[in-house]
Amino acid sequence: MRKRPVSSTILKLALLAFFAAAVLLPLLRMLAYMRNTDVLKVLGGAAFRKACLNSLKVGLLTTAVSIPLAYALAWCVTRTHLRLRGLWSVLFSLPMLIPSISQGSGLIILFGANGVLTRLLHLGGNIYGLHGIVIGEAMYVTPIAFLMFADVLTYEDYTPYEAAQVLGIPRLRQFTAVTLPFLRRPLISAVFTVFSLTVTDYGVPLTIGGKVKTLPVLMYEDVIGLLDFGKGSVIGAVLLIPAVLAFLADLSNRDAGGNSFVARPFVIRQNKTRDGLACALCAAVGIFMLLPVAAFGVLSFMTNYPIDMSFTLGNAAKALRMNGGTYLVNSLLISAGVGILGVLIATVTAYCSTRLLSPAARLLHLLSITSMAIPGLVLGLSYVLFFKTSFLYGTMAILILVNMIHFFASSYLMLYNTFGKFNEHLEAVGLTLGASRLRIVWDVILPQCRGTMLEAFSYFFVNSMITISAVSFLANADTKPVALLIPQYEAQSFLECSAFISLLILCCNLLVKAAVHLLKSAIARQDG
Amino acid sequence: MSKLSVEDLSKVYGQKTVLDHISFEVQAGEFLSILGPSGCGKTTILRILMGLLEPDGGVVRKDGRDITACSPAERGMGIVFQNYALFENMTVQKNVEYALRFHKELRGKASEIAAGLLRRVGLWELRDKKPGKLSGGQQQRVAIARTLALNPDVILFDEPMSALDVDTRLALRREIKDIQREYGSTMIYITHDQEEAFAMSDRIMVMEAGRIHQIGTPEELVTDPADDYVRRFVLENLQIKAESLSRFIQVAP
Repeated sequence: MRKRPVSSTILKLALLAFFAAAVLLPLLRMLAYMRNTDVLKVLGGAAFRKACLNSLKVGLLTTAVSIPLAYALAWCVTRTHLRLRGLWSVLFSLPMLIPSISQGSGLIILFGANGVLTRLLHLGGNIYGLHGIVIGEAMYVTPIAFLMFADVLTYEDYTPYEAAQVLGIPRLRQFTAVTLPFLRRPLISAVFTVFSLTVTDYGVPLTIGGKVKTLPVLMYEDVIGLLDFGKGSVIGAVLLIPAVLAFLADLSNRDAGGNSFVARPFVIRQNKTRDGLACALCAAVGIFMLLPVAAFGVLSFMTNYPIDMSFTLGNAAKALRMNGGTYLVNSLLISAGVGILGVLIATVTAYCSTRLLSPAARLLHLLSITSMAIPGLVLGLSYVLFFKTSFLYGTMAILILVNMIHFFASSYLMLYNTFGKFNEHLEAVGLTLGASRLRIVWDVILPQCRGTMLEAFSYFFVNSMITISAVSFLANADTKPVALLIPQYEAQSFLECSAFISLLILCCNLLVKAAVHLLKSAIARQDG
Repeated sequence: MSKLSVEDLSKVYGQKTVLDHISFEVQAGEFLSILGPSGCGKTTILRILMGLLEPDGGVVRKDGRDITACSPAERGMGIVFQNYALFENMTVQKNVEYALRFHKELRGKASEIAAGLLRRVGLWELRDKKPGKLSGGQQQRVAIARTLALNPDVILFDEPMSALDVDTRLALRREIKDIQREYGSTMIYITHDQEEAFAMSDRIMVMEAGRIHQIGTPEELVTDPADDYVRRFVLENLQIKAESLSRFIQVAP
């Protein structure tokens, strides 16, 4: 451009200042808080060491279970003639619409001492502990890895396989020579993402862990129960390590440049046996993923399981009466706020970093994806320590802010990729035709981003509905989001109420997803 | 008076001198090609002429008036880019009409002007299509029609053919020359294709590393190359093409 307008520089500086205040400074505040604590004493403590070991075990076992499973499911959906692919994909991503803590309580309702399936199948009811955590975490993270793999496999180029077939290279050799190198990058990304999500989650281990405590649970108990912010900060700093590693792995992977240009779509040969096996696997996993939801239904609408199994709306009414209704409104307000504000800021930031190139733009890009490297609990504690004395503390606004930052990176990257694909000369053409930059953004660029913006809104909304991590330290009796009622009800042994809340969150998210889907199809039709 | 004149233009990016104090003039109705390898500064000249980039030094005049500080829209010039830069969300007709919205006196006649231009470039039947449904050549015609809508007397082309196949290039070459004659426009055309430059231009400016080696008619470049660089860059390439062509003719029965 000619002289870069002063306004664009001011905008970028303002955004940089915003991210510094909303991401970096709170984090630095938490790290600085460790000064007041005997770090070595915390790290050397028996409870810490045990929790650390448990977290590692949970992380490694879950990764070992969920990565092959997710890959197998993605392969079934993209590489076989499986019928109803869309339905399977929706089913496998269903767990992403409920809080991680619901996976834990779902398993307890199913397999716990008095569980539905425990009684039905005469099981031991021995779900509490490490294996329970691993199953719950696997249900929580497998859908995420599934989506990553399905996306990658959809865009794999068939040409190398054709060449291999012409050369008569055996199938196994094709897999090691073509498929594995192609999968290396997405595999690294998926492994780090899954490991880091598992290690930093406290929802599942809190409900189902029993005596097995992981680091996030320890941190949660120290901060919520004992108000020991110093010890919480130390554990938070430790939890940063896997998340930062995952972030760096992803960053180096991404920078090398993904090749998403499809030269030739995959040709899937006819094979009835393979299709049958794929269908069986998908059905088995799909049913297992649906089980917790079914269990919530059973528990919510039965008078007093397992003694009185008649239908009732009493549990729902009870949950709503005990603040469920008020907190649901809180959650909807927070999620809508995060969605609207998040899309707005992510759009402006992505535009600046893709189409107003400068050193400041690169810094802005890096800062806006940094939040990916901060686990929700750590971000929450950082916010408590940084904003404690500010007017924001204890308001709904801080919950909106913390969720927006927590889920910013993914939405931002969606928009970043979309903006990057537009012709670089659009704004220049506009200027020569008498249309300002803003005019071209409004008339040409934004209309073509509506689908991505809706997708970003949906991501912000759904995740704000289900999150219990960043908000757990910041919410008070007035601002509490509804998902936080799940651990509360569980602690009070109102399992049927907590089940109803999980269902409620699922329904809200399904409605938003369906609305976004309809709007996107309408836009696609319009763009025809 | 010349249509456009450039005096002592310079541009530096960090350590790299992109334009090293260059001067040249373009006459009204002339077709000037700027020829040179990538990174020689030709696109930088175009962006400065259009007002999309500010020079570090030098003056750009149009019809004698200093326009160095004018905004792109005030210059009465149009530009056609390599990858068309069409508005994908608008129909072909809306693309051509778009600029007219910002000009009060033309706003009322927008659809009439667009219809005339679309008939002129042979795209009237495709007016309700989105650019994504058109071929590369058709998209470039839309871009040309969009530029013509404001009736600029100078049109700049930034390697407009490099994404097109040979047949389309030949057809579009003719079309651009026809338009130039019809509208009497002055055209500045950037390319790294010697053959294209020789086929279309009244004069050719040969550039390398931010400097001008020679400006002259195609004949002058052939008969009287200013230096070794011009001989090598311009003539050797053409010679190779000519030789391979003659060999082809000899071999053919």
